[in-house]
Amino acid sequence: MTATASNLESESLPDPTGHPDELDRAKIAGKSPTKLAMERFRKDKLSMVSFIIVVLYLVGGILAPFLVSFGFLDPRGYNQDLLNKFTLPEGSFGGMSWSHPLGVEPGTGRDVMSRVWLGTTLSLTIALIASLLAMAIGTVLGIIAGFTGGMTDSVIGRLIDLTLSFPSTLMLLALSAPMYEVLTKNVHVPEGDVAWATYVVVFLAIFGWPPIARLIRGQVLSIREREFVHAATLFGASRRRMYFKEILPNLWAPLLVSFTLLLPAYISAEAALSYLGVSIKPPTPTLGNVLRDSLNYAEFDFVYFFSPAFVIALIVVCFNLLGDGLRDALDPKSGR
Amino acid sequence: MANTRKRLLAASAATALVVSLAACGNGSNDDDSSSNADGEKGGTLTYLLASPVGHTDPHRVYVGRDISNFSRTVYRQLVTFPTATDLETANTPVPDLATDTGTSSDGGKVWQFTVKDGVKWQDGKEITCEDFKYGASRAFANDVITGGPNYLLSYLDIPTDADGAPVYKGPYTDKGQADFDKAVTCEDKTITYNFKKAWPDFPLAIAALHMLDPYRADLDKGEGSNFEIFSNGPYMLEGKWEENKGGTLIRNPEYDPDTDTTDNRNAFPDKIVFEIGKTPETINQLLIEDNAEVQAAVTGTRVLPQFIAKASGLGDRYLNVESPYVDYLVPNTKRLSLEVREALAVSTNVKAWITAGGGELFYKPADSIVNPVVPGYQPVEQFKDLGEGDPEAAKAILEEAGVKMPYKLKFTYDGASETADKQSAALKETWDKAGFDVTLNPLTDAYYPTIQDPNADSDVTWAGWGADWPSALTVTAPLFDSRINLTPSSNNQDYGNYKSDEFNSLVDEAQAAGTLEEQTAALQKADAVLGKDYAYVPLEISLFNWVHGSKVNFATTPASNGFPDLGLISVTK
Repeated sequence: MTATASNLESESLPDPTGHPDELDRAKIAGKSPTKLAMERFRKDKLSMVSFIIVVLYLVGGILAPFLVSFGFLDPRGYNQDLLNKFTLPEGSFGGMSWSHPLGVEPGTGRDVMSRVWLGTTLSLTIALIASLLAMAIGTVLGIIAGFTGGMTDSVIGRLIDLTLSFPSTLMLLALSAPMYEVLTKNVHVPEGDVAWATYVVVFLAIFGWPPIARLIRGQVLSIREREFVHAATLFGASRRRMYFKEILPNLWAPLLVSFTLLLPAYISAEAALSYLGVSIKPPTPTLGNVLRDSLNYAEFDFVYFFSPAFVIALIVVCFNLLGDGLRDALDPKSGR
Repeated sequence: MANTRKRLLAASAATALVVSLAACGNGSNDDDSSSNADGEKGGTLTYLLASPVGHTDPHRVYVGRDISNFSRTVYRQLVTFPTATDLETANTPVPDLATDTGTSSDGGKVWQFTVKDGVKWQDGKEITCEDFKYGASRAFANDVITGGPNYLLSYLDIPTDADGAPVYKGPYTDKGQADFDKAVTCEDKTITYNFKKAWPDFPLAIAALHMLDPYRADLDKGEGSNFEIFSNGPYMLEGKWEENKGGTLIRNPEYDPDTDTTDNRNAFPDKIVFEIGKTPETINQLLIEDNAEVQAAVTGTRVLPQFIAKASGLGDRYLNVESPYVDYLVPNTKRLSLEVREALAVSTNVKAWITAGGGELFYKPADSIVNPVVPGYQPVEQFKDLGEGDPEAAKAILEEAGVKMPYKLKFTYDGASETADKQSAALKETWDKAGFDVTLNPLTDAYYPTIQDPNADSDVTWAGWGADWPSALTVTAPLFDSRINLTPSSNNQDYGNYKSDEFNSLVDEAQAAGTLEEQTAALQKADAVLGKDYAYVPLEISLFNWVHGSKVNFATTPASNGFPDLGLISVTK
């Protein structure tokens, strides 16, 4: 990695003379901005709690498919014998029991915990891939626009305006059927869940990159005037080297922050979309389609309604708090 | 012919229902409030609807609920069905605008009716034989008067052109007018219909549908008349009918109850307000809570599964009746061999489907595509006890057939609701156990046009149907006769592309029959052929759950297709 100004500072290691005074000073001087940021972050209790919850979500999300294949979770099995004559769960609290800790689904008797858990995995996966894609597109276009300037900058700028001017949600809904056709018939994406997930990922990414590109472009405009950039230019560095080796490493802080804020936005977007019926379809659970069904029972089977709603709310809040905490830690001047 | 007549739209409790005649008054746990013919006059009744009424033009109405509503209020017919709840009486037409239930000659090919004296339109003019003749002519303009029944086109004795369409093109052009004038003749007050083939149950057909209603030629605006109501019944429209809001019916001063059969049109309320636009959830909720604004209201929107626990505990404000519709599965005979179809039927878990759809208060297992209320119904051997399905037996059939397992299967259904999703996933469970690998294919829009594609790659399809009038001839023949259904661009109502000469010849036999007994016998044999060929798999008969306001004397009859019967309903003070 190219040494930037800040990296050089942190590499000024203490000389090992053994003098206690010198050592103390070295300790203080040795704190890199990264270390300082992490320290600030660790002191922020709310962010740490959110961070732990987010990690739990991620671990849970990774585990779910294995638990399903080992039979600990069963999101599809029907247990209609657990329902009463009105096809609502028998017993109190939505049919809660040791084998069904969050109760069972009305009508089918499917295990609610399994559905919510696996639903979290699928929703997280879609949101994660979509935000990585959006970040990648936004970053590349942002760097190019900011660094090159001139004609390229205006073309990308107009492209951003154009993308932002599309009514994206409307298009997502309206184009779902024809695009699904195209994906399955022309691009040969496997029909069903995979094709729907692909559709949502692609669309979320296509409409999600412009804010990132704008942010990055702004950052690049200031970075490109720095000395090390001029130096690299003088040495005749190639464009690709300039973009990815000189400038990109200086963008990780804003990128990290926008990623942690984009992800929860996409989690709720995915939930909203599967609620509207354009994401993965039942019986494969996602947070959105479980919520959609449970909403019908808000009055009659509250536990069933509460589970997916709570899971979505918690993860979105935690990711947002985490993002805010990271921003505060990385850029203390921005303040609250 | 891509209209959506007679279909039941959505597996669950969605609202759109279609035509048919016979519902059954004897529900599983109702206390038969339909015998209540002595209500009080007066008051305002509200009729809540979740979605717009497609047409109010009598010749375009083809939805069971609307046929009955308009029959009882504004559109009288030559003959009509009484408000009786006893099936035998309910299925027997009584004279309405005609003096009797018609006389036939030439083996059922010629039918004659005489119009009563003293029957008037809302502007005071007499209803004439010419009005009836004009009414019959409108169906032939099937580019303008769309959506309605089109039986007349194939039955009336009018020559056909090269495409098989009648040469008469309706009253809006002059084409073939002379031919029509020969087929339908007026002599003073007597109208005569001449048919190409025998139509032994013709009075049943015209009592069940509005296709022969009189219409005033001087008031016909073609397409522009779609939402007009020009009454000859006890009510008339106040102001205009607004497509997305509804309309208000007030008393028609020109209506003379003495010309009407007693008790068919009691017309108790002074006013009937049709109110369109609330969601099914809201309607359910308001009625269950007996909110002040709906205490004098009934609805054509059924109780949704999530509300049933509450609704069924409402005592006499709740009613459960059997509907005349049957839901069924259609295996695509182009793609599935007889053995695979058999395995599919054997492993179909009807019980799980019913439970996922709301349970025993919403459905009752069916053993034929012909509803038990239709004369001549008999259980089909193969479908007698599908119950929970037998995946083991199905697997054995598949293994014997030597097909590659798991056998890939694509199931297409109307995915308009979460209930439909759960029901379909329930079927997938046992099908998968039997050795199928099922892909669920929920369609959210344009359901029927999609499944009517003869080249669709779907293996199994869901559909629902109710008889147009109490005859199996309006069930199996329109659904499985390959000659009238299969074309290169559409399979029309034969969604499984089923083609059988044996079945077709039995339909011919039934249509040629001079008496109803012979016809019924032939149709029973035809249904048995369908069973043997596994041309369909019957799922269930829908039950309707109704909740109404506390100030309503509620009633539903076979004649109202299981929907509220406005001929009997009254409002209390």
